[in-house]
Amino acid sequence: MMRDLDHILKTVWPEVRRRHLFPELPTPEYGEGDQRVGLDIKGKKISISKQFVEGISEVMEPQKALEGLLDHAVSHYLYCPWDFSTHLKLYREAKKVLKDTQMAKRATDCFIDVVADTSCVSQKDTPLPELYKHLQRGSMEEAMHALYQKIWGMDLGVEGHHEISRKLSRLPYLDRSRWKESIRRFARAIHYLLEEEEREGNLDKPSSMGNHSLDQYSLQEIEKGLQELASDVNSPTEFKEILQDFKDEILKGDMNSEQAMGLGPGRSSDANILYYMKLAENYLLPIRRTPMEKSGSLYPHHHVPWEVGSPYHDIDPWTSFGKIMPGITQTWQRHEGSVFSHEEGTPNCIVIIDSSGSMTDPTRHLSHAVLGAACACDAYLRNDAQVAVYNFSDAYIGAQRILTYSRNRREIYRTLCHYFGGGTQLQMESIEALQTDRVPDIFLITDMQITNLEIMIEYFNSVKNRVTAVHIGNNKQVQTFRSSMALRDNVGIYAVGKKEDIPRIVLGKIKEYLYTLTP
Amino acid sequence: MRNPFMDFRSVHYQKKEIPLERIVKAKQEVMDRILESYFSIVEEEAKDLVWLVEHSRVVKTYDAAKESIRDLEYDQDDIEEFCAQLDSSQKVPYMISGPAGIYISALVNHIAQDSIVLGLKDYERTFHFLGFRLPEGKTLTLQGDVGDFIGAGLSGGRLVVEGSTRNWCGAGMMKGEIFVSSHTGQRTGEWMRGGEIHVDGNIWSTGKSIFGGKIYNRGKIVIPKESD
Repeated sequence: MMRDLDHILKTVWPEVRRRHLFPELPTPEYGEGDQRVGLDIKGKKISISKQFVEGISEVMEPQKALEGLLDHAVSHYLYCPWDFSTHLKLYREAKKVLKDTQMAKRATDCFIDVVADTSCVSQKDTPLPELYKHLQRGSMEEAMHALYQKIWGMDLGVEGHHEISRKLSRLPYLDRSRWKESIRRFARAIHYLLEEEEREGNLDKPSSMGNHSLDQYSLQEIEKGLQELASDVNSPTEFKEILQDFKDEILKGDMNSEQAMGLGPGRSSDANILYYMKLAENYLLPIRRTPMEKSGSLYPHHHVPWEVGSPYHDIDPWTSFGKIMPGITQTWQRHEGSVFSHEEGTPNCIVIIDSSGSMTDPTRHLSHAVLGAACACDAYLRNDAQVAVYNFSDAYIGAQRILTYSRNRREIYRTLCHYFGGGTQLQMESIEALQTDRVPDIFLITDMQITNLEIMIEYFNSVKNRVTAVHIGNNKQVQTFRSSMALRDNVGIYAVGKKEDIPRIVLGKIKEYLYTLTP
Repeated sequence: MRNPFMDFRSVHYQKKEIPLERIVKAKQEVMDRILESYFSIVEEEAKDLVWLVEHSRVVKTYDAAKESIRDLEYDQDDIEEFCAQLDSSQKVPYMISGPAGIYISALVNHIAQDSIVLGLKDYERTFHFLGFRLPEGKTLTLQGDVGDFIGAGLSGGRLVVEGSTRNWCGAGMMKGEIFVSSHTGQRTGEWMRGGEIHVDGNIWSTGKSIFGGKIYNRGKIVIPKESD
């Protein structure tokens, strides 16, 4: 029997792949499982419970059972949820209605199953309905199968559940643009069934077709999903809440990976760091590289015909056939050569961030200052540069945090996200200590309500660094700063009032360099 | 060289008709008509910029709603879906809660079914004026907390609230019964002329002008008072 099943799987899989237009999925294998749960998907790898197939073979052909299971699994990959990002979006809507993590997870699982299976049944010649006819059913499964019976128009041998199947049958499962609205109505309708399952302790038990844990997604998909979630949610608190719901799975994935996302066991505050990290990835700020310098030397560049009266020393005898004759003789035209200076590429950057009381607390609400600084750090790190962070509030009484040049994202974002919430005073000596021989860029983000603003202006007037100053909001101090820096070519000033202003920042954009680049 | 796309030629795609599409299409048509009719009411009401709760205004809105749904055919699920649309759909750009509740009441009163259950537990919005003029022979069950003027002008129907109501519950009711499993707000039964209100939880306060009918709290009569 076991050899037979191996053989059947080998013959069935190419047929299922062909039916679904050859999806790029690894060949499924038999895995450990029980007689009740047929499927498990981990990192795109479909694993089928042999015990389940053996059990169901008593009532239907094993080939059909395998086909049905594989159709179900492939439909998840190809249609719903498609990716982790969609999965999270659906979960978020279900959670809004149900307000309970386990219930929302279960409702999302059910919805995803209905959509994937219905799409498969409506478009493919699949034995899924036959498989559903023979599956073991709890109360939730029975309601779902009653729904299938109604919307697929096939007899699956379910009786009762007329009201719930009637309510659920009117949702447009195959309209992707309405999934968010549909899952809310779906969750609302099955709320009583979820409560029933909770009472019976069945809420976290997988259905016959398996659960939809995060294991099925690759780490890259999870990272992308979190990135999209960060830009979708209204506040870091909401992000943290959803992240908390999937904490175990994310931690498991994070620890298995060499390029950890930024979460560590027992560090729930890291959710804030991850939020800004992922949000910053949505804004790829451009850095103007330090331009090439002219060397001052002249090099032969191209030929021009020699004319009578022109000097002889640049004549090229090889292309002139050994003759001195206008029209035949060629002479070299020389151009000034360009070479890379010592500072070719992207310099390191000192990020100065204001976390005084007048700034938004980044752990509670979306802080444009932290987001802007995070985007800047992300841009420098992507360009192989190092970042030093100076986070200040009342620096003279110790409310400042300094991170020396580093490429450790986690530490950089941790320093950025620290919130002092006190007065606003800079200690220029601390910034000066971060200056190096290789002149770094400076990125400053503040609302400019700085007690010793004059000292800071004086300092920026004296340095040669490329300075990108970003002010949050507008006030008298901003005007003072702008007018004091008006004549400085190495200072670029930007205003940020909303998220959409951030992509307008060009790091290290300096008038002086633009002028020298203009021919 | 073998064409790598040859394999695709062996796949014959044939979309199958499943009942879901027919059901969704039919329901969508009904919902579009309900929404269209609701928008016409709201448009009329929005002309005055402010919607004040006045008897004449409420009656006028109710009559207009009744008229606009006269030829509509719908069921209880359609009403529930309409509530869901009001709660969070992008299709409804604005909601004036007074006319919305009155419109839902008109839908409930006009429906052929005698017993209607509306699940309102998981909504973000609160609905007012539900059960307005509920006629004799109809039972409306509201699952979840509801807003002001619930069961106002009740006309013989049986209104069951599985949750709490806010203020003016049963205001101006003529006859019929209201059962509230939890609490009611201020001025419960204000201007009522007949019928009964039964509250299992607390009553914040009863109406100042009550012309008839009875109010019970946890099985004990509170209006009319024994001294009356």
